Amino acid sequence: MRLALILLGAVVLAFVATPLLIVVPMSFSTAVSLEFPPPGWWTGYYAAYFGDARWTKPTLNSLGIAAAVAVLTVALVTPATFAVVRHRFVGKGLVNLALMLPLAVPHIVMAIGYYAFLADIQLLQTFPGIILAHTALSVPMAFLVLSANLKGFDRGLERAALSLGASPARTFLHVTLPVLWPGFAAAALFAFVQSFDETVVALFISGRDTETLPRKMFDSIRTTADPVIAVVSTLLFFAVAVLVIVPVLWRAASRRRLEPRP
Amino acid sequence: MARTGFSRRAALTLGGGAVAGLATPSFKRLRAAEVLHVNTWGGIWERAAIKNLFEPFTRDTGIEIRPVSPVSFAKLAQQVRSGAYEFDVTTLGAGEIIRANQANLLEKLDNTDLVKSPPFAGAAFQNGASSHAFATVIAYQKAKYPNGGPQSWADFWNLQKFPGSRCMQRYASRVLPIALVADGVPMDKLYPLNISRAFTSLDRIKPAVRTWWTQGQQSQQLLRDGEIDCIALWHARTLELIDQNQPVEIVWNEAEIERAYWVVARGTPNRDNALRYLEASVRPDRVAGFCRDSMNGPLNPAAFNFLSEAEAARMPTAPAYRGKVFEQDILNFGGDVNAATQRFERWIGT
Amino acid sequence: MSAVPAPARGSLGPWLLLAPLMVFLAVFFVVPLAQVAVMSVSDPEWGLGHYAEIATDGFHLRVLADTFFTALVVSFCCLLLGFPLAYAMAAASPGWAAVMMVVVTMSFWTSFLVRTYAWMVLLGTRGPIARVVEWLGFATPELLFTRFSSTVAMTHILLPYMVLSLYGVLKRIEPSLPRSAASLGATPSSVIRHVVLPLAAPGIVNGLTLVFVLCLGFYVTPILLGSPREQMVAGVIGQQVEEFLAFGEASAMAVVLLASTLVVLGLYHRRFGLDRLWG
Repeated sequence: MRLALILLGAVVLAFVATPLLIVVPMSFSTAVSLEFPPPGWWTGYYAAYFGDARWTKPTLNSLGIAAAVAVLTVALVTPATFAVVRHRFVGKGLVNLALMLPLAVPHIVMAIGYYAFLADIQLLQTFPGIILAHTALSVPMAFLVLSANLKGFDRGLERAALSLGASPARTFLHVTLPVLWPGFAAAALFAFVQSFDETVVALFISGRDTETLPRKMFDSIRTTADPVIAVVSTLLFFAVAVLVIVPVLWRAASRRRLEPRP
Repeated sequence: MARTGFSRRAALTLGGGAVAGLATPSFKRLRAAEVLHVNTWGGIWERAAIKNLFEPFTRDTGIEIRPVSPVSFAKLAQQVRSGAYEFDVTTLGAGEIIRANQANLLEKLDNTDLVKSPPFAGAAFQNGASSHAFATVIAYQKAKYPNGGPQSWADFWNLQKFPGSRCMQRYASRVLPIALVADGVPMDKLYPLNISRAFTSLDRIKPAVRTWWTQGQQSQQLLRDGEIDCIALWHARTLELIDQNQPVEIVWNEAEIERAYWVVARGTPNRDNALRYLEASVRPDRVAGFCRDSMNGPLNPAAFNFLSEAEAARMPTAPAYRGKVFEQDILNFGGDVNAATQRFERWIGT
Repeated sequence: MSAVPAPARGSLGPWLLLAPLMVFLAVFFVVPLAQVAVMSVSDPEWGLGHYAEIATDGFHLRVLADTFFTALVVSFCCLLLGFPLAYAMAAASPGWAAVMMVVVTMSFWTSFLVRTYAWMVLLGTRGPIARVVEWLGFATPELLFTRFSSTVAMTHILLPYMVLSLYGVLKRIEPSLPRSAASLGATPSSVIRHVVLPLAAPGIVNGLTLVFVLCLGFYVTPILLGSPREQMVAGVIGQQVEEFLAFGEASAMAVVLLASTLVVLGLYHRRFGLDRLWG
């Protein structure tokens, strides 16, 4: 039975991996349509993607928006995380719950809410509008990541620094931050990816000049199954690959470095 | 040390600066007052429009025209309501122009030359500039029907004789008349439509309809990729595939002719330029060029002076097809177009 | 940012730290959400008409029922597929486990749209699956735009959530437990059924809840490759707004969707505590 489970597990792994891998050869296909295996190979669609403003503009828009969202999210979440993790106060449980709320609401519900709300305050189809909406949606994940990091932080280090005469601000800069920065980076990264990939809300609140990449992809898939989508998908796939594999390799390398030499 | 107040303050200033800097669209809107955004159907349609309508207009007036896709009646309604305009001008079919007028989504053409001194009869219709006629035809995969595919809408409905998947446009006022023709109603006795009978007829073909297309490119892609065996789509898209040697066949019998109109979204800040564009778009030489390249039929009779016999023969309004095709009579629809559309959408989902 | 030990209860410190975020969320999250609720009873005119229509109208009830049913199916498919994979990951050597983790994590981080597109390629009539079926001598299968294609794609997309939930729990099972059960005479399948599964139960419930809730609100995939006859509620809501500007009707459906989601999460919270769900 154990063997059966493990074999089944391997099959499921193939199920998980195949769709991810298939976009790569598709991006080099010469076919105009969704044909696999591709009838021929070229890099023409890559040229089409990088040369077409109708694709590069949404890409740049998304990158810019996601960066702003990451910064804003971390800026707002950091003090709140410190408050929740390090202080005791009445209503803490409720605050915890409230911060999780955006995760519980389906994006389509928020999408129509934001559509009406941003239209009322004249921010519909503007960059600030999208950034504010995406930030609100990114808060829970950033909070979770940051609070997990903060909970694991050894406060003895801080107490040592303080007892040696450092001011709270200095302690934070020279003791807390250097240890915690991976947490900040992770929270920012989560917020960045969340915003960059966010589709549903963007469909409703982004516009012609502020179009995001997911919205362009959705429209494209829906109407033409444009082969350029395969190019975008491949580029995104490699971005994710770097994001996932690099830390793994880094950790493996640092572990090897820390191993005692023979 | 200058780096007090860590990344939070820095982040907030950075964030504030980024937000301010990214608010450029509003600034852009002020500077680029001489840009017009026009909705197009993409592909061959858009290329024809750019070459024959947009570029000449820009040469004459200096106003830049940027094409915007996809075409969406819903977006037209949304932008008028929300005030965030994605396009100033769009193209509508007959059913949609009725709905658009009912919902007060269009700028009136009363002060334009189209109404005051019309270049041809019917140049302005329901606040739209009459541009061209196109047809919804039957197209099918040759490989699937080696002995010939459906030759009429009744054939299209006949799932025993012509088994396979179907696809039609998600557009009520275009599909309901077709359903009636398939049910045996003579083409000259269609209007006013018996809407209930049309829906009953549609029920018979529903099991075979795998999906409902909304964009011209999409219909072409479904046919070209082999996802659909028989499809009701625009003639120009089918002809383009045939010209590319794709193994599909077009059926002109019982084709449904419909008219397309240029309209201006109500309340757009570029209203005046948009109305100028409308006036320019029906000029015979330009319409002729557009129709030649997009394979549509011009509604301005003077345009035929610029077209050869061979070119005119391929258009849905050609004399060769008279008697085989039928025209929509939207003003005599037989009910409220909007209500019929709602009912159609509901019907699709059940 | 206080680096000193926690001050006495009732101090202002924490609230000052929380203020920016709470104010921000109040304005840019709660207000839009409240607007949805308000629109559901005020557009086009005040009253509970939309809710009455949802409760009595066949169309809306069917869409909701379809959505719930599909979410259940997807959740259980994720469980059936996810458990073997998580088990294999937990039982594998560190090298293999890392590889499997990388694959699952990459799927987790890859956008819904990219994965949906990949399934359109896989299931298309000119795709690899169709070619294999044709090669075997059968008629070309028509897999896209069906309930099947929609379900498979959603299962694939939500599977990493299930796998990661299960893996976390399975990994934490003391290896001595199954070993001692085996040494006491239990067969391997007995060990799995009576030792591993009960210990994995929290992860199973976690995964099921997460996948179910996410699937209820799924928008993108059913629209792009699902059947138009079996629309899910998120797609219908979007269509009501986009096509008909029927904000009232759409908002009412949205509120019902949200309520269902909150009920499920509430039940989970009552029993286990919500912070465990995403921990």
